[in-house]
Amino acid sequence: MKIFYLPDLGEGLAEAEIREWYVKVGDEVKVDQPLVSMETAKAVVDVPSPYAGKIVELHGKANDIIKTGKPFITFDTGEMVQDKGSVVGKLETSENKWDDGQVIIGAAKTKATAVKAMPAARVLAQQMNVDLSLVLPTGPQGLITPQDVKKYMEQQPSHASSSLTGETESLHGVRRVMAQTMAQSHREVVPVTIIEDADITDLPPKSDMTVRLLKAMIAAAKDEPALNAWFDGKILERKLFKEIHIGLAVDTEEGLFVPVIKNAQSLSEQELRKIIDDYKNAVRARKVSPKDLQGATITLSNFGMIAGRYATPIIVPPAVAILGCGRSRDIAIPRQGQIVVGRTIPLSLTFDHRAVTGGEATRYLGNVIKYLQG
Amino acid sequence: MAEITLVEAVNQALSFEMQANPDVIVLGEDVAKDGGVFRATLGLLDKFGPERVLDTPLAESMIAGLAVGMAVQGLKPVAEFQFMGFIYPAIDQIINHAARLRNRTRGRLSCPVVFRTPFGAGIHAPEHHSESTEAMFVHTPGIRVVVPSSPARAYGLLLASIRDPDPVVFLEPSRLYRFAKQEVVNDGKALPLDVCFTLRQGDDVTLVTWGAMVKETLAAVSLLNDEGISAEVIDVATLKPLDMDTILASVEKTGRCVIVHEAPLSCGVGAEIAAQLVEKGLFSLKAPPARVTGFDTIVPYAKLEKYYIPSEKRIIEAVHRLMEFA
Repeated sequence: MKIFYLPDLGEGLAEAEIREWYVKVGDEVKVDQPLVSMETAKAVVDVPSPYAGKIVELHGKANDIIKTGKPFITFDTGEMVQDKGSVVGKLETSENKWDDGQVIIGAAKTKATAVKAMPAARVLAQQMNVDLSLVLPTGPQGLITPQDVKKYMEQQPSHASSSLTGETESLHGVRRVMAQTMAQSHREVVPVTIIEDADITDLPPKSDMTVRLLKAMIAAAKDEPALNAWFDGKILERKLFKEIHIGLAVDTEEGLFVPVIKNAQSLSEQELRKIIDDYKNAVRARKVSPKDLQGATITLSNFGMIAGRYATPIIVPPAVAILGCGRSRDIAIPRQGQIVVGRTIPLSLTFDHRAVTGGEATRYLGNVIKYLQG
Repeated sequence: MAEITLVEAVNQALSFEMQANPDVIVLGEDVAKDGGVFRATLGLLDKFGPERVLDTPLAESMIAGLAVGMAVQGLKPVAEFQFMGFIYPAIDQIINHAARLRNRTRGRLSCPVVFRTPFGAGIHAPEHHSESTEAMFVHTPGIRVVVPSSPARAYGLLLASIRDPDPVVFLEPSRLYRFAKQEVVNDGKALPLDVCFTLRQGDDVTLVTWGAMVKETLAAVSLLNDEGISAEVIDVATLKPLDMDTILASVEKTGRCVIVHEAPLSCGVGAEIAAQLVEKGLFSLKAPPARVTGFDTIVPYAKLEKYYIPSEKRIIEAVHRLMEFA
């Protein structure tokens, strides 16, 4: 819509009189087409159309006096008023359509809300590459705490090496049992390891060292029974045994097996050797029965057959001691003012200091050495 | 149904309400004969006569004071200030009187006045024609601050503001006055005040804005969509009281929020929104709230204006920074 205001038709004329309309409401007119004949104080003039469009309203009829500057004719020009008049600045105009899209008053209907987490938990999750939506929240109002993220990571296999390539394998069988038992031992046991060498220079060179170690453990336990025992740390009870059931650590590709030589105190050297061989074969053939892997009152780890001198062997609860035996070697021994070449075998005894005193342990180790040296 | 510009929608709403309610009075500098500096009141003088459409002297304090007097005595004045930079002489009347009359009279009098003014930069005008100082009014208790961003909302929200029994500062984005057209039904239907309008729905980030910045924000979102980033756009519309519920509901979904406003950064309305986001929505936020705003300077003259107004590029960059937070 555009309103045509009556212009000054002369020089400072305040008004003019309509003599005759050449158009009527509804007419389509062109620019400069004569619209009306106006009589002023000075002359009769035709007024040309300033716009193209349709006449919407004539603001007066013949013989009406119209004041200069008043609305005279209203046009529908197909566009809105573009009169910029005294506007300061420059407004951007366009024929663009304002696209509001699907306006929603207020909030959009929300689907599932995002995970709620403490900022520290988010930072931790980002650093550790953890998807927060998988983490179980335990904080107030279902909030994920940094602790929740840590707990989640601990439950993930090999999270620490996630940046390295390599195949992940979940543990099973004896390897899994080893992981659990060792972790349990680390949590519960208070271990102390004492080490000493036994001088075996005078033993016949072909001695069956494993059997001899077993015999030494049996002999030592008779004098010092505190190490041939079970201990329950929860109720603080220990149980000393007359029978000596010796667990024998056997290394295989599958993992660590510890078959138990039951009632070792009642077996001869030949019987001990036979049972050792039987167990080794059974373990390699994977035919060892579960009951043969249980009930050790003390353990022997003869790792010296592979390599290594001393160690800090790990006790398997509820037992309270484990004897480790390293590789035997020749050493220079001072004897009666002379240096002689002798042969020794290194021993490492770990005991659970909750159940065993240092005195008991060292006496036990001393007895083992005494027996080995003959 | 006619397609009209934002300034025509203002005109249409004024005209509708003046027709419907004889108590509605329009006053301001050049609003009658000239139809207002931007022609928002064009034709009203002819339709409603000089008793209801008043040209005032160049005295903004008087315009506001006159309007307050009319309002408390039962009229519904709609006062126009030519530019936001001209409203400062009227601040005393607006803050000390219009905003406080209901409280001062213990509810006996209300002050149903609408203070209209164009605001914002982008029209190549001198600096006091370009500012966005909405935060001053948002900070003032007792005043409602309403900002339309489209012809339809200009129409619906102005009607609601005139009908509201309390004072409203109605800020019209001059940059959008004639920028685009929209179909608006002239049926006198008001839109609700005190609630945001969600213009786009999305899952990755919430863009909160108002007034002229809705234009750049929608343009940025369209480019972000092409990258596969889905953004929700909230036109706050009523800055005071602030509809934080809508913003929080959206951020609980997206976990990221960029606030876009043309006003300077420091103590802008974006600061209030960010503070409330942190107070009430911290645990849903995947990233710190971001603000894309004008600068802490006077709005520059025409040549540098485009560097002052937050650009699509700045909005997109802010969204990209937030998207780095998984």
